[in-house]
Amino acid sequence: MKEGKAYIESGILELYVLGELNAAEQREVEAMAAKYPEVKKEITAIELAMEQYAMENAIAPSAELESIILGKITPKVTGPSLAPLTAPQEPAAVSLAPDRYESKIRTLKYALAACATLLLVTGVALYSAHTELDTAKNQIIALNQDKQRFAATVNYMTETNKELQTIADMPADPDWKIIRLAGTKMDPEAKMTVYWHTSGRHVMLDNSKMALPKNDDAHQYQLWALVKGKPVDLGVFDVKTDSSHILLKMKEIAGADAFAVTLEKRGGAAGPTMDQMIAMGGV
Amino acid sequence: MTTTKKISRSEEQLVLALKAQDTNAMKALYDMYSASLFGVISRIVVHTEVAEDILQETFLKIWNSADTYDASKGRLFTWMMNIARNLAIDKLRSKDFKNASKNHDIEKNVDFIDAQKETTFNADVIGLKDMVTALKPEFTNVLDMVYFKGYTHVEAAEELDLPLGTVKTRIRMAIMELRKHFN
Repeated sequence: MKEGKAYIESGILELYVLGELNAAEQREVEAMAAKYPEVKKEITAIELAMEQYAMENAIAPSAELESIILGKITPKVTGPSLAPLTAPQEPAAVSLAPDRYESKIRTLKYALAACATLLLVTGVALYSAHTELDTAKNQIIALNQDKQRFAATVNYMTETNKELQTIADMPADPDWKIIRLAGTKMDPEAKMTVYWHTSGRHVMLDNSKMALPKNDDAHQYQLWALVKGKPVDLGVFDVKTDSSHILLKMKEIAGADAFAVTLEKRGGAAGPTMDQMIAMGGV
Repeated sequence: MTTTKKISRSEEQLVLALKAQDTNAMKALYDMYSASLFGVISRIVVHTEVAEDILQETFLKIWNSADTYDASKGRLFTWMMNIARNLAIDKLRSKDFKNASKNHDIEKNVDFIDAQKETTFNADVIGLKDMVTALKPEFTNVLDMVYFKGYTHVEAAEELDLPLGTVKTRIRMAIMELRKHFN
């Protein structure tokens, strides 16, 4: 009892309540408090005095601080209290952001897939268009060639038609003379036809009715008119299998007694080589 | 002490709820003790914003260290008050805080705080200060230094150039006066 009272009066209990003691001293005070009820009672009295002192000196903190502080309080362990109410809220709030992020990624994925598809479709379309363009180009080239061929054919036919018309008209025009040249002893099989317009002086050979051996590159046939026993040059011609013209226009002549054809060197000769005369016919 | 508070419970209930991590216990503690603790903190660290930060730290520490509180060793408020005082004193002595108030060294800072405090005190506090000052100054001075200004009793002894035993006695006498006043 006496020891307890002395301990109380040493002033150590006040320092204990004020948190002024080190760990060893604190343990000592606690041991004394456990041993002597009056020490424990004294400590409580000091505590109450300091508590009331603090109450009297209370200063209210700003009103918004309460919600800030209580908002930061989260239970360490899940207890059977209000605690679980606050616990799931935060993960939910946190998981919102990843959700938004994920949906954004999902949108971007769709966009990427759409882009890839569009690219593929565009590529196929481009390739197809390119192929079709090639085909079209080829068709255009083919059509052009066809067109040219037709044009050529038309030209040929027009020409031929004109010539045929000329031939067809000949019997109606008394000025047209048709002279048939027969083969000589050089080639008895040879024959050809010369049309001569006496007033218009036109001289034409009929390719379709020509039967002369083909000349080689070094030689050409030369047509002569015999005017009063003298040969007059009427020009040279070739005998080809694929001649595009029926009628072959020769040099003009006003008057002639006969027509003859000789085989001469290419370009023709000034005078006929008599032993090379292949056909002849009188008017 | 339970008449004007928003939520109040018996200390035993509060301690049990607090140790069970019941957030309602914190609400009750805040309603009952935030102003008292803020008063203690504000005496040591006068800047309102800093004091409020410390009050916040205090409640977080109360919450997180609830399992270390031992009712057999003292009252809940004593435990909480000492958490608040220690945090406030740590702050007062931290490099940060000294830098923030760089025009005052630690001793002058305490005087500065003390002077500034007069303008922020509420009427109750001024009344109480008068009451404390009505005690013999040599007794109140020591309690003042330890309780209001964050001195340890050893530092107070050095500052006042008194033996430790005298400082202890004077603190005890001052608290005795308080007890008489409250009874």
